[in-house]
Amino acid sequence: MRDIVGKRNWYFALSLALTIPGIIFILLGPLTGGQAGLQFSIDYTGGTKWEIRFDDVSVTPDQVKAVLAAEGYGDSTVQTTANDFLLIRTEPIGFVDTLALSSPSPAPSAGASAAPSGSPAPSGSAAPSGTPAPSASAGTSPAPSGSAAPTPVVATPGPSFPASLPPASFVPPTPAPPGQVTRTGEIGVLAAALEDELGPIESQRQLTTIGPVISAELTQQAMILVLIGSIGILLWMTFRFRDFRFGATALVALLHDVIVVVGAFAILGTLFGLEVDGLFVTAMLTIIGFSVHDTIVVYDRIRENRSRHAGERFSSIVNHSILQTVARSINTSLVVTLALLALFLFGGDSIRPFILALLIGIISGTYSSIFNAAPLLTVWEEWEARRKERANPGRPVRRASA
Amino acid sequence: MRRFTPALILVVLGAALIINFWPNLTLPGMGPEGESRVVETKLGLDLVGGLQVEYQALPAGGKSPDAAAMATTKQIVENRVNSTGVVEPIVQTQGSDRIVVELPGVNDPDPIRKLLGQTGRLDFIPLPVERYGSGANPGPNAAAQGQPLPTEEVPLFSGDQVDQAFASTDSNGARAVGFRLKSEGGQLFGDYTTNNVGNFFAIVLDGFVVSAPVIQSAITGGEGIITGGTGGFSATEMNNLITVLSYGSLPYPLQEIGFQTIGATLAGFSLDRIILAGLIAIALIFVFMLVYYRLPGLVACLALMYYALVVLAIFRLIPVTLTVAGIAGFVLSMGMAVDANVLIFERMKEELRGGKSLPAAMEAGFNRAWNSILDSNVSSLITASILYVFGSPTIRGFALVLIIGILVSMFTAITVTRTMLRYIVPKEWARKPRLYGLSEEEFVGARGRVVVRGEARSRA
Repeated sequence: MRDIVGKRNWYFALSLALTIPGIIFILLGPLTGGQAGLQFSIDYTGGTKWEIRFDDVSVTPDQVKAVLAAEGYGDSTVQTTANDFLLIRTEPIGFVDTLALSSPSPAPSAGASAAPSGSPAPSGSAAPSGTPAPSASAGTSPAPSGSAAPTPVVATPGPSFPASLPPASFVPPTPAPPGQVTRTGEIGVLAAALEDELGPIESQRQLTTIGPVISAELTQQAMILVLIGSIGILLWMTFRFRDFRFGATALVALLHDVIVVVGAFAILGTLFGLEVDGLFVTAMLTIIGFSVHDTIVVYDRIRENRSRHAGERFSSIVNHSILQTVARSINTSLVVTLALLALFLFGGDSIRPFILALLIGIISGTYSSIFNAAPLLTVWEEWEARRKERANPGRPVRRASA
Repeated sequence: MRRFTPALILVVLGAALIINFWPNLTLPGMGPEGESRVVETKLGLDLVGGLQVEYQALPAGGKSPDAAAMATTKQIVENRVNSTGVVEPIVQTQGSDRIVVELPGVNDPDPIRKLLGQTGRLDFIPLPVERYGSGANPGPNAAAQGQPLPTEEVPLFSGDQVDQAFASTDSNGARAVGFRLKSEGGQLFGDYTTNNVGNFFAIVLDGFVVSAPVIQSAITGGEGIITGGTGGFSATEMNNLITVLSYGSLPYPLQEIGFQTIGATLAGFSLDRIILAGLIAIALIFVFMLVYYRLPGLVACLALMYYALVVLAIFRLIPVTLTVAGIAGFVLSMGMAVDANVLIFERMKEELRGGKSLPAAMEAGFNRAWNSILDSNVSSLITASILYVFGSPTIRGFALVLIIGILVSMFTAITVTRTMLRYIVPKEWARKPRLYGLSEEEFVGARGRVVVRGEARSRA
């Protein structure tokens, strides 16, 4: 029979070997100002992601970058993606500033507003609304008529009403044919500049802009969610097993998985530019919820065996329980891993980092449940037993003074 | 209770089949406005293409937006969205001060973004005769359309007092805009107009003059029309003014904080890929279960198909909007659903090896595994609920898929599998060790109880 609990220190060492490089790479992030360590996507940093394809597919990222730099977006990256598309990343551009939106549009009688309020006699043309004469149709009867034909009582003297509104603001936009390049706003200007230099843009795959407000929150939110999730699991395990140690060791195994995944992303980010995106926190919490499954199964078996084989050494009960459940732990993880692998290979680029995080997390979760959580429980149990023994070696009377 | 389980399973299956495959099934009174809703699978923006914009309501007048103000804002934004004719828009509030708008199929986002984010603070401002003169005798200042008022004036009331704005005609039959005020605004307007016939009055949106008509008569009934000069309004002018009057006034200004447009080509591509990947993933799960667990594995696969049908039906009913991540979550939840079966079957094998008869081993497998299944599902529910409560819309979609999946899997992986096995296990043909992935020796318990004749032995 394999002795997993007996060799636990080897497995703890392996876990350290897995987590320490990750931690180092995570810490490299703040130390190098983001050059190394975790690479955050625009979901976290704010910015614009714009994926387009030129008619001329031989346009290189460098050419695009040069045009962007000339337009004032020097700090941008351009890379080729599938099917000759180019993915441009820059600082956030193309926001509609809703507060400045109502900026004065050319109005017919613009001169009027320029008249200082003290000026006693404005010229005729600057008279209110240009045309002082109210519309001829204005009725005079104050008697309210039926709701179908309300009394006409006020008249709009000015001729061109929509001039007061931001252009196009209330015109129902006709949905453009899919894939067309955004032609308006800052992006439109940029598109025109690119086309001047590099020829027509054939299609646009996606355009995403994320402002600093969202991104600042996201990092904080991610940490808080992982924290709440961990506490939730700790409380639930403690409640179900009526033992804080079960909750606490399950939590340690969880944090192990979290560190392994974040560390793996820090390493892969440093080496290959793999980014942490908005779904990462989802992956983390899913891992937290799922990887504890294996731990629960082992702990359930420990609880069962403990009542059945009372008197046996705890470490041997734990070892037995691990071995009894190991087939199940590996099999379920295998099923999920197979499914995730299919999603990873064929599911498309948008969720690949997300699936990768889940894959790493679930494999790590299985390992930590078998080789960390339950063995840690043994360590704790034995440590407490030793402490009790030291405190009152066979003489319960002295307990109070100890 | 047990007697009714098979019936319950069949009824649920029947309902799921109807919901999934009945063409043009409509639910009366289930739409957002109590209208009928066609049951269909809703796909997210990343799978159909379109525009998503996220707004933050900014504090105004030293006050932060409260829940009621956000509800109003959402309503106004919804009205504006609906006025554009975009099909199936989604407007959601998020957190304490966010509005997220999703518009499938819209590829050129700028005009619509301008429309949606407009602060639209509408004020009705009297223009005092000392400063602006009267219609017949204009004063030193003029309210010019599209310009701010040259002097600071106190609004009489705001756009929230507009009860209704509608298309109307003036006495010449030209287009005009009719409006009805609420009682407070109507009272104020009545008092003011009675004393100021012939003077100017301004309708100001976001500090810029929309219209500065002359008061032709006292408007005491709270109802009147705005005429459009000699020729009346053009149709567009009229509709614009109606929109401004109806939906103009947001309680707090909105600031755009993020947007995303996804081309339909990319969306279609993503849809094809994720469906292919999902099918491959499911096929892999099936193969694994069949190869490793044989007969119970087959039962688990049937239960899994049942699971998929029920979950899809629930998605269509609620409806849950499926994104790429959501479909990934669905596939993941199938893996979790299998988890319960693996747990049960492993336990069953163990009990068989321990000498129990087949039916007894099966029951023990289900009973003993129950605790672990419940505990692990609850732990997944805890984290999924956290995601659902605190996450962004994309994350919430994923979390909802996971939550539904976990709850349904408790039913299918346990009740459905158990009912099927209870039906199968007593059958003579089902008593072969190979069907359970066990050797003849390990099957001793089953052989001891059940009359297995020499043929089984000789085969081994």
